[in-house]
Amino acid sequence: MTEKNISTKKHITVDYFYKSTKEKFGLKLFSKSNGFNRVITDQNLHRPGLALAGFVDLFSFNRVQIFGNTEMKYLSKLSEKERIQSLEKIFEFEIPCLVITNNHKPTDDMLKLSEKHKISIFGLPMTTTKAAYLLSDFLDDQFAPRISIHGSFVDVYGVGMLFTGKSGIGKSEIALDLVERGHRLVADDVVIFTKKGEGILMGSGTDLIKHFMEIRGIGIIDVRSMFGVRAIRFQKRLEVVIDLEVWDDTQEYTRTGLDGKTISYLDVDIPYVKVPIVPGKNITVISEVIALHYLLKHYNYDAAKIFKKRLNQKLKQNIDSFDRSVDYFEHDFE
Amino acid sequence: MVSLYFTEEKQIMIEKTIKIINNAGLHTRPAATIVKMAARFKCDFFIHKDGLSINGKSIIGVMTLAAAKGSEVVLSFDGEDEKEASEAIAAYFERGFDEL
Repeated sequence: MTEKNISTKKHITVDYFYKSTKEKFGLKLFSKSNGFNRVITDQNLHRPGLALAGFVDLFSFNRVQIFGNTEMKYLSKLSEKERIQSLEKIFEFEIPCLVITNNHKPTDDMLKLSEKHKISIFGLPMTTTKAAYLLSDFLDDQFAPRISIHGSFVDVYGVGMLFTGKSGIGKSEIALDLVERGHRLVADDVVIFTKKGEGILMGSGTDLIKHFMEIRGIGIIDVRSMFGVRAIRFQKRLEVVIDLEVWDDTQEYTRTGLDGKTISYLDVDIPYVKVPIVPGKNITVISEVIALHYLLKHYNYDAAKIFKKRLNQKLKQNIDSFDRSVDYFEHDFE
Repeated sequence: MVSLYFTEEKQIMIEKTIKIINNAGLHTRPAATIVKMAARFKCDFFIHKDGLSINGKSIIGVMTLAAAKGSEVVLSFDGEDEKEASEAIAAYFERGFDEL
């Protein structure tokens, strides 16, 4: 499997950048759309203040250039000739596009130059800080590493659970069973996880599959149209991985739950549980219990640890006999 | 820590890079045939394309690739009968899914 299932976007086109952000952030196009095939290769943004002033050594030209109050004010103070000179100097570089913030409008000479050099100019209504936050978040997500994993991804009581295991072991059937019990399917079969920040993996299906799944013996079904909108969700954070396998006598399965195994995807460690499948074992219920167990641990209640503590207390008391949990059955009360 | 597909085992797996050569690409019919062929073998069978790794025994997965004519895919086989599986399945790809 090495790294073939991991991918990172090397670049996005300005066209894609504009189409994806115009509705979300209200990105407006000021210039003609003739620089749309330029590519953005870096998720960081750049404010070209110094470059405009003439210092273009170390100019990060391959980033989206943000023109905030400072840049616009500086340009407006220059004479037309100086302004053209100053802009020419940075437009000579292969910069992807310009984004002007704070509702500023580009000057006419700026637009003319943009046409000449085929660089698109966009505008955003918000302040530079907010614009930078939004655009950075979008670009970070675009350039984040992704991994595709074969499995079923379900939101169980709000816990993102990924079921993995060999083909035909019943991942889809478990997902379907969970949906029937009121949980929500994120994706079946091909799940794409994207690293968000340092320790978070967000999962979703592919745009082609969405919430379709294959149940052997039936064929392809659409969970959304069959169970309705309550049965699905589009994205979820990965929190627990459940690896299903046919019961193997030689394998050791966790008994106390004190060891806390993890599995690593894209350098993020995710709690990992290996669940053996045997006839008569209801994996759906076990999955729900694993989810609740995870939630309890999250709220600082770890049954295994508490049991261990009780045992240690008992050992300290050094009493040989065991006793019932009820001292005296006086009547048939609870 | 456990690495999902790289457990304590074992030898190398078989990998083959193959081009899709039929006009219609990897559409429903060949996808179904591939999945049926793969199901006969015990080994793990994955198809990789553009950072996507899908299980070759799942019809939805294979169709997700949407591999058009001219695109390249990598087939990987891992398990006891990997040799037989790789030969049978690679041959089917090379025949253009019997659509040439």
